[in-house]
Order: sequence, then structure tokens, then C-alpha cells
Amino acid sequence: MSSTFSVNVETQSNRPLVRLSGEIDVHSCTSLSETLENIVANASQNVILNMQDTHYLDSSGLGTIAYSAKLLSDKNHDMIIICNRPQIKKLFDLSGLSSKNIQFFENDTDINF
Amino acid sequence: MKKPVEINLSLPPYAEFVSVARLTLSGIATRMNFSIEDIEDIKIAISEACTNIIQHAYTDSDQPGIISIVCSINEERLEITVKDTGKGFDVSSPISAKVDGKDTTQYGLGLGLTFIKSMMDDYSIDSVIGKGTTLRMSKHAPQTVPVINE
Repeated sequence: MSSTFSVNVETQSNRPLVRLSGEIDVHSCTSLSETLENIVANASQNVILNMQDTHYLDSSGLGTIAYSAKLLSDKNHDMIIICNRPQIKKLFDLSGLSSKNIQFFENDTDINF
Repeated sequence: MKKPVEINLSLPPYAEFVSVARLTLSGIATRMNFSIEDIEDIKIAISEACTNIIQHAYTDSDQPGIISIVCSINEERLEITVKDTGKGFDVSSPISAKVDGKDTTQYGLGLGLTFIKSMMDDYSIDSVIGKGTTLRMSKHAPQTVPVINE
């Protein structure tokens, strides 16, 4: 069955930028997890996750992102999430993850490097 | 009060079908005039319920059973029962910890049931070891709208 999820890796001002589009659930988080694992393993700075086109997220995707953020925090880097959906922000707040090394921005012009 | 309308959905316990459960519930919730925010909540709740079954219920089984979803619709609320015939678990012990010695915190964080609790108005879970698990959850309908025209 086809998935509506896609993940694209770009570079923005020399920082890894991962764009997540579509729905992130227990099915699609496998490919998300593979991509993030690679990015985080090679990261020498903060990693940006652009979730402006992410329409759905649940605990599977959240767990995958949290795990990558934890690996990043071991390297003293942050996960920067760009997301303007209240529903997704709500999940991060409910899980208590937003207080860790995860920074939230409503759009990419708000980020100060 | 009119008799509730029931919609049944049986899904194979595999990850690629969770989106089908979401689509179905989102259709039903739209039909019941739930707000967009409520519909998003219901989508998360049903996905978490299915994900739990996929990740835990049939992991010991050569011939996995199904995910059975029954949506009972009446004018006051949407009630969703999600059932499996898998291995069950001890409801009284912490659920988010390790399952079968395997650390499940990496992906799910054990947050599934926490999310269901906060997304739905009522929630209960019954499980019998070796027999399966039944999760019931419901959300109050936003207004009394006839579900079917008679």
C-alpha cells in the first residue's frame, strides 16, 4: 500500500535540513528513522526538521524524532523543528519533549543562527 | 433515543493499514460534525490503538489475528471499541516499560495510551493474558445531529 509520506534532505547555510511531508505513523516512521539515524550520526551541528508539510504525527513518529534528538543532545546539538500545526505542537507538549533539546519555530524565517 | 448505528472494520495487524483506520474514523467523525481539531484527536487515538496491537498483541503468534474496530454512533457520542485476540498484558503493571525484555521506548515512548487518554473523553482497557485486549474510548458529539435520516 502506498504511503503519502516523503522525506527530503537538503542543506541550508551548511546545516542539514530534513523536510517531512505527509503522514508520519507506525508505517512511515521506519523510513524516517533510517534517514534521521544517518543525519544525526554525521551531524556536527544542529539539525533542522521542517514539518510545515507534515499533516499527521503520532507517538511512533514522535518517538523516532525524540530518539534522534537524544542522540543529538549527546553531541551537544539541538533539534530545531519548524512547524505551525497546533496539533503537532500539542503532542510534543503532552509528551514533555519540548523542554529538552528540541526548539520550536513557527516558520523558518524566525530562526536565528 | 434512537438505537446507535454500528460500523465495523476488520484490519490485518500490519503497519500499512493504520492509515485505513484513520481514514475511516475521520470519515465517520466528519459525518458526525466533529470539529477539525476533534477529528485530528480521534485520528491519533485510533492510530495509537492500532499501533499498540501491531507492536504487541500478535508478536508471539505464527498466525496473527485481526484488529477489530467497532464504531458505535449515536446522537451524543462516538464510541470506538478496538479489539485483538493476541497475548494480552497485565493492565495493572506499568505499560510503558519493557515488553519481552525489548526496549520499546525507542519509537513509541510508551505514549500511546497517554495520548488516547488526552484525546478522548472516556477510555478503558481490559486485557486477559493469552486471550486478548479490548480498548474502549469515546468522544462526545459536538451537537445533536441526526446520524441517519429516517
